[in-house]
Amino acid sequence: MPISLEHVSFTYMKGTPFEKTALHDVNLQIEKGEFVAVIGHTGSGKSTLVQHLSGLLHPQKGSVCVDGVNLNAKNAAAKKARNSVGMVFQYPEHQIFAETVYEDIAFGPRNKGLTPEGTDRAVKDAMAFAGLDFETFAQRSPFRLSGGQMRRVAIAGVVAMEPDYLILDEPSAGLDPRARDEIFKEIMALYRKRGIAVILVTHNMEEAARYATRLLVVSDGRIILDGVPHEIFTNHKEELLKVSMDVPPVYKLAECLQEHGLNVKSTPELADLERQILKVRRSRHAD
Amino acid sequence: MLTDITLGQYYPGSSVIHGLDPRAKILATLLFIAAIFFAESMLSYGVLALFVAAVILLSRLPVLMVLRSVKPLWIIILLTLFIHAFTGEGSNVLYQYGFFRLTEEGLIMGIKMSLRLVFLLLISSILTFTTSPIVLTDGIESLLRPFKCIGVPAHELAMMMTIALRFIPTLIEETDRIIKAQTARGADFDSGSLLQRAKNMLPILIPLFISAFRRADELAIAMEARCYRGGEGRTRMHELVYKTGDFIALAIIVLLIAVLAVMRWGLGL
Amino acid sequence: MQSLIEIKNLKHSYIDTDGNEIHALNGVSLDIYKGEFIAVIGANGSGKSTLARHLNALLLPTEGKCVVAGMDTADDKNLWNIRQHVGMVFQNPDNQIVAAIVEEDVAFGPENIGVPPAEIRTRVDNALAAVGMTEYAKHAPHLLSGGQKQRVAIAGVLALEPDCIVLDEPTAMLDPRGRIEIVNTVKKLNREKNITVVYITHYMEEAMQADRIIAMEHGVIKMHGRPEEIFTKVKELHALGLETPLAAQAAFDLRQKGIKLADGIISNEELTEELCR
Repeated sequence: MPISLEHVSFTYMKGTPFEKTALHDVNLQIEKGEFVAVIGHTGSGKSTLVQHLSGLLHPQKGSVCVDGVNLNAKNAAAKKARNSVGMVFQYPEHQIFAETVYEDIAFGPRNKGLTPEGTDRAVKDAMAFAGLDFETFAQRSPFRLSGGQMRRVAIAGVVAMEPDYLILDEPSAGLDPRARDEIFKEIMALYRKRGIAVILVTHNMEEAARYATRLLVVSDGRIILDGVPHEIFTNHKEELLKVSMDVPPVYKLAECLQEHGLNVKSTPELADLERQILKVRRSRHAD
Repeated sequence: MLTDITLGQYYPGSSVIHGLDPRAKILATLLFIAAIFFAESMLSYGVLALFVAAVILLSRLPVLMVLRSVKPLWIIILLTLFIHAFTGEGSNVLYQYGFFRLTEEGLIMGIKMSLRLVFLLLISSILTFTTSPIVLTDGIESLLRPFKCIGVPAHELAMMMTIALRFIPTLIEETDRIIKAQTARGADFDSGSLLQRAKNMLPILIPLFISAFRRADELAIAMEARCYRGGEGRTRMHELVYKTGDFIALAIIVLLIAVLAVMRWGLGL
Repeated sequence: MQSLIEIKNLKHSYIDTDGNEIHALNGVSLDIYKGEFIAVIGANGSGKSTLARHLNALLLPTEGKCVVAGMDTADDKNLWNIRQHVGMVFQNPDNQIVAAIVEEDVAFGPENIGVPPAEIRTRVDNALAAVGMTEYAKHAPHLLSGGQKQRVAIAGVLALEPDCIVLDEPTAMLDPRGRIEIVNTVKKLNREKNITVVYITHYMEEAMQADRIIAMEHGVIKMHGRPEEIFTKVKELHALGLETPLAAQAAFDLRQKGIKLADGIISNEELTEELCR
């Protein structure tokens, strides 16, 4: 069963001179097992969109349901539904508060009402997922860890809620390339193992092309493109440029080669593009 | 939502009052407060009311908005009225119920006292409506500077106010984000006993404090990198300069005080 | 070329909160010349920021020397003079803007060094024009975009009329649009105003704009050269935990598979030209 948004509209500071409509009548369904990348420039409405998905903002018009339960109802079912959507904010390490790594990660599971044993298991699982050795880190102060480690603790704190839908708002922001790759390796492992839905908000087209099964392009409070990343990056470059987005570098390289008459197809994988180049060169030499 | 709060009550405009030097406005406000205490007869209260009305009109602010600034203190104003009315000395009893005695003299005294409060509120809110917080800070710094020799840290106070004005919106945004992040982890801020609720706030307050300290630290380094070393030898881009209008405004206030004094002691009105 | 900053065998160590001695810089020697654009790359913790903070005496050497325009940073009396010569822009745009109005913030630096009011006005106007923020002079900084805030921060440094600007990961917290704004602004200042630029970044496409690149690891300089020299050393960059531009990576892979390509390919155009030859 999916998360579904029906005719959702939202306006900030309604009724003041600063009024700004962030979502215009948005309809969207996300199924478990999907890996959805959401792109759009700052102020496009993508943050507002994902905050609706997690029930943190209430739609002024329309409804948001998870598995058929309206997120904004005030009953136990709605609370359970909200807990099934995990949200990792930008720079999540800034929300760490507890004295030990264990206590911080246990915050979510406890709020969910898990037993001490259940909490313990959830924390251990989440730490294993985040590549944090339990013996080494559980009793350490999170504030004395490196930036990359704090980021993992914070993400583990959301993963420990064992969400069916995991929203990540730029999880790699501010990290160096190595740490970026590691975070994504862990997210992909979790995605494959638990069969959850991952919703990734990103500015990085390469991440969108490499990991997502579906791409949403948000502009001016509307979803203007929704489809397979490869298809969008191949056939909708003009629309992307129009909303200050771009295609990933590997598509740019393919396009540059095509413009100069090299017969290669655009692809999300550099290795694939290289194979094509080799083939073209060989056939040319054979002539 | 927290981010919907608009900070301060500055109402931009180009009226005569807006254009006055902040120091002149602060001094005039202080003098006016003194003038209030010169008023004795009902007639002199009438003069004060006329003056306040004239200032509101000159400032071209929405009249209702200015009047609404009395609202936050209406309980205190009413209390002032009742306390004076029921406890004031006087022989002309209007109403009596057991220990409580409403006298005509007491009632008049109550009305006068409440009016004083209302005038005070109105005139000081006109000051903040017509002066941006930043300009107001400059004015306060400039007025306090002569008292530096007796240990008033004028520059430091002004710098603190400036930084507070700059960072309050940022910290409000940050609070909003932290509340949402903890809510997403199932935190509940609205239920439980008072003690429990206070404890529930820790996941918000601790990150907020840590962030504020980090910001303070980074800001201090950035300020140092831009050659900040305290108020010594500092200049300002906008130097405050008194203009003719400022002297006229102050002269009018002094005249007002004189009129009230003459009414009270000279004419016995 | 005349060198503006001379760094000789610079070492910096400190004691961290756990009581361990950390060697952030382990003997760095580098000359930075007037008017050049130099990029510093390296993984987190490689010592880039520590190096940057020595350039305007926010940090002082434990060993070795850092000399800015002939002034030793270790000498107290040079402090404020050095900071006028070398300005610094930090990562978080929010935490370096002091005042609640853009132009007041830009005026902060000149006010600190006692510039007369009329001249501050001119400097502020020029600085805002140089970063294209004139129309936002009276705005509140917290309502600006990340890229705009960072341009205000650059203007705040420019108003001190420095010879050199050090930017410590100025784009790390910005979106792609903001990143382009900053890179273009910095390039323009370097070309048109001949301001020396030291630019620290994780983004290779930004580093590619520089005249010269320094790659750091464990507090020492590991690689040093022009962009086309650095980015073609794919293996060495990966060992430092860094990425290469896509075209350089492709050229490296294709060479491994036996295709002969000219040296120094780092852009799509260069690769395409070689392949189509």
